Amino acid sequence: MLGKLSFRNAKRQALNYIIYFITVTISIGLIFSFNFLAFSKDVSELSNQMEYFKQVIVILSIIIAFSIAWLINYTMKFILEKRSKEFAIYQILGIEKKDISSMFVKENIIIGAIALMFGILLGMFLYQVLISIVMNIFKQPYQINIVFSYKALLLTILYFVLIYGIIILKNRKKIKKSKVYELLYSEKQNENHVMRKVKYNKIIFAFSVILLLVSIFVVKYTFSFGSNVSFNLVLIALISLIVGIYLFYISISGFILDFYINNKRRKYKNSNMFLYRNLASKVNTMSITMSTLAVMFVIIIIGLNISMLMNNMLNNEMEILYPFEIMISTTDGDFTKYKEYIKKNSDVVNMHEYKIYTIEQTPLIEALKDTSLRDRKYNKVDNVIKLSDYNKLREMIGYSSVELSNDEIIVNTISTASNYINKYIKENGNYITACNKKYKIKQVEDINLGQLGFNGFVYFFVVNDNEIEFIKENEISSDYLSNNLEYKLVVNTKEKTTQAFYDDLCSYIKTYHFPQVGIYDGIEKEYDVEISLGNVLSRGQRIGETKSFYTIISFSAIYVSLILIMISATLLAIQQLSESEKYKYRYKVLKDLGMDEMDMNKIIFKQIFIYFLLPILIPVLISVPIVLSIGNIFTLAVTYKEIIKNICFVFGIFFLVYSIYFVATDVQFEKNINEEI
Amino acid sequence: MENLLVVDSIQKYYGSKENITKAINDISFSVNSGEFIGIMGASGSGKTTLLNCISTIDNVSSGHIYLENKDITKINDEDIAKFRRENLGFIFQDFNLLDTLTVEENIALILTINKVLQKDIDNKVFELALKLGIDDILNKYPYQISGGQRQRCAVARAIINNPKLILADEPTGALDSKSARQLLDILKEMNEKLKVTILMVTHDPFCASYCNKILFLKDGRIFNKIEKGDKTQKEFYNNILDVLSLLGGDFRDVR
Repeated sequence: MLGKLSFRNAKRQALNYIIYFITVTISIGLIFSFNFLAFSKDVSELSNQMEYFKQVIVILSIIIAFSIAWLINYTMKFILEKRSKEFAIYQILGIEKKDISSMFVKENIIIGAIALMFGILLGMFLYQVLISIVMNIFKQPYQINIVFSYKALLLTILYFVLIYGIIILKNRKKIKKSKVYELLYSEKQNENHVMRKVKYNKIIFAFSVILLLVSIFVVKYTFSFGSNVSFNLVLIALISLIVGIYLFYISISGFILDFYINNKRRKYKNSNMFLYRNLASKVNTMSITMSTLAVMFVIIIIGLNISMLMNNMLNNEMEILYPFEIMISTTDGDFTKYKEYIKKNSDVVNMHEYKIYTIEQTPLIEALKDTSLRDRKYNKVDNVIKLSDYNKLREMIGYSSVELSNDEIIVNTISTASNYINKYIKENGNYITACNKKYKIKQVEDINLGQLGFNGFVYFFVVNDNEIEFIKENEISSDYLSNNLEYKLVVNTKEKTTQAFYDDLCSYIKTYHFPQVGIYDGIEKEYDVEISLGNVLSRGQRIGETKSFYTIISFSAIYVSLILIMISATLLAIQQLSESEKYKYRYKVLKDLGMDEMDMNKIIFKQIFIYFLLPILIPVLISVPIVLSIGNIFTLAVTYKEIIKNICFVFGIFFLVYSIYFVATDVQFEKNINEEI
Repeated sequence: MENLLVVDSIQKYYGSKENITKAINDISFSVNSGEFIGIMGASGSGKTTLLNCISTIDNVSSGHIYLENKDITKINDEDIAKFRRENLGFIFQDFNLLDTLTVEENIALILTINKVLQKDIDNKVFELALKLGIDDILNKYPYQISGGQRQRCAVARAIINNPKLILADEPTGALDSKSARQLLDILKEMNEKLKVTILMVTHDPFCASYCNKILFLKDGRIFNKIEKGDKTQKEFYNNILDVLSLLGGDFRDVR
């Protein structure tokens, strides 16, 4: 009989907390599929860097396991409170406490086992979706095949059993310690303080708003200097943000009351009085949970945005950094060994070798003064190449030649910098003084020819071939070692280069040594400049690397955020739904007073809407300016438009998941209220 | 007749040292086997606390309670469940049936815990249900039946294992007058025919008039004690009303 009771209780519990049950199931599905993906041989063979994927996912899974533990613990506490009377009856009927607690354990094992089973089935399906996405990113053919990873399965089960086991044991202890009297009268005890009074409410509210504004401005200030981000300022912003959020949610309920209840005109309008009384008392007792959720939402939104910014940067820099399949720099201009190898091992379409000249920095740097791009010109020099080389490079990637007279100059830069340079030219005239000679800026180009490190930094100049003797006279040696690598070889091959090609080329060249003297940190040092320093670059190899990081970053970010949003929304849903018993009575009073069902559903909708809106209100408002500020340090490769696009995308995903929970809660709540009135 | 229950100068305090509420302030009485005893009093007079102490739901602050010479204030935690299921039956105001179990299962639950044979359980439950007029709803769930039926189901659950003492806390509180009367008739019949000892807390004089002995509580003490003796139920009812008007408080206007 007790077994039957456990089983029926489990069924009822799963139905009453269906949202919670589904969340746990989906979470298990996600954990399993991501671990499955991370341990998949297909994935780890894609690139050397995919090895990190495994580590990242395993670490993130632990964080996620803790979050799920939080949810399960919270829900179980709730369920236990709800069922305290039932447990009291068991005891009064004379059922041994150990039987009661083992019944509770059995119930939860049944629920847990079903969630685990469905979760793993779901995970197997999700895995197929995920792996086809990954294969698509790497442009690899992939056919759905039924594989199974025991490692991932065991890991998932281990996480789950650990979390679940500990929580069940904890609650079992609680039941064993419980007293009938307390259980029987616990409902009465809870009603002692419906409304906690917060002193100096208005002052706290004002203070919290100030703190939030402070954090926004500190972030804006901190990130306006490019990548020189002060850790202390970030810490200040973070602390004021978190404290601000907590104070905001502690004082908001008083504010709602002030606004709606203490004003007679608003109070008696429609159902305001009932609605905001309900809300204020709930928000008041929930303020800490709500603040925690809000802080989590801020982290999710900002984290997702940063991950997307990083991905944008990776993608865009890829284009800027590697316009040619193979790019080699040397100090002496002797490329015979390289060319020999490349010609032998690949199908060369075209190649070109040239020299890049280093001159003193021109005033054009002023154009970048308020941007983070300026940091990229840390070596304080400018670079020049001659027109014929420039045209040859253009031709290699399919651009037509340009003409240039002796006193003219072309600025070739990256697209994110061209706006600033054009603006500078507009304000200061289209002349530039280089090597004490005035040149007319003929045009500003933003063709990607490797002007981020390979051919100069951010921009390089192009002069007529006749001018090159003059430039040579004014050439300076950079105090930065890489600038002595002034001889360049670029090659386009018919087939894309691969990691293997790159590795082979490197090991072939490694027989050489490039001993080199450079001044670094003011001290003259001898370096062994090896290939790994970036003297030999291959696009194919780099793309593989980039795609790996891209995959790792985006998959991890989505993995964590999805589960965290779901867990938070579930928490809100459970809070509301478990209170529906209490609300049922309140709404019954409304109904007895003559309110019809339509109006009641409207109030329910409003109540749940505001309840779900509150914890995301501050995160949404505050994260937009913060993300825009952080976006500043990515301006090198990411355009403003892309940042806005990211924000919209993140909010899109966030609101999609969040509103599913909102709607589910609303529907369930209405059902609960209307059930037995 | 032998004393089944002896309450020996018990006290029950609530609150801290500075602010003590004496819910029960030195109560002693005894109950004989086969009695139907009522406890009356205004709200806050300590009647539910007294019931809770006797039913081992709450602990006394001092004093002793003996059931068949066994001191139930001294029973330790491990034995309490066994004690309850072997000696006590409970009837609550709000029924407290388990809504995941059918009526039949609710009644049979204690027997299964006591490891009674399957066949005997079926017979016993059906026999009792027939007596209480709930044999046709045995397969229904508590939320599918009326309040009166639920309370009769609770009565069946309380007496199925032949407890020595039935404790009823405002058993008619949630029932309409017809169902209440029906229930009280049943309790009376149980008491007279099966010699079940019943201790019932109530604030309703009509309900109390079914008992054959009533204790009146006021501010945690026994204020008065009356017995039915050879009186008719009507006479006993008037007798109760007289005491209640003396008692004052909530009962001032009952007449």
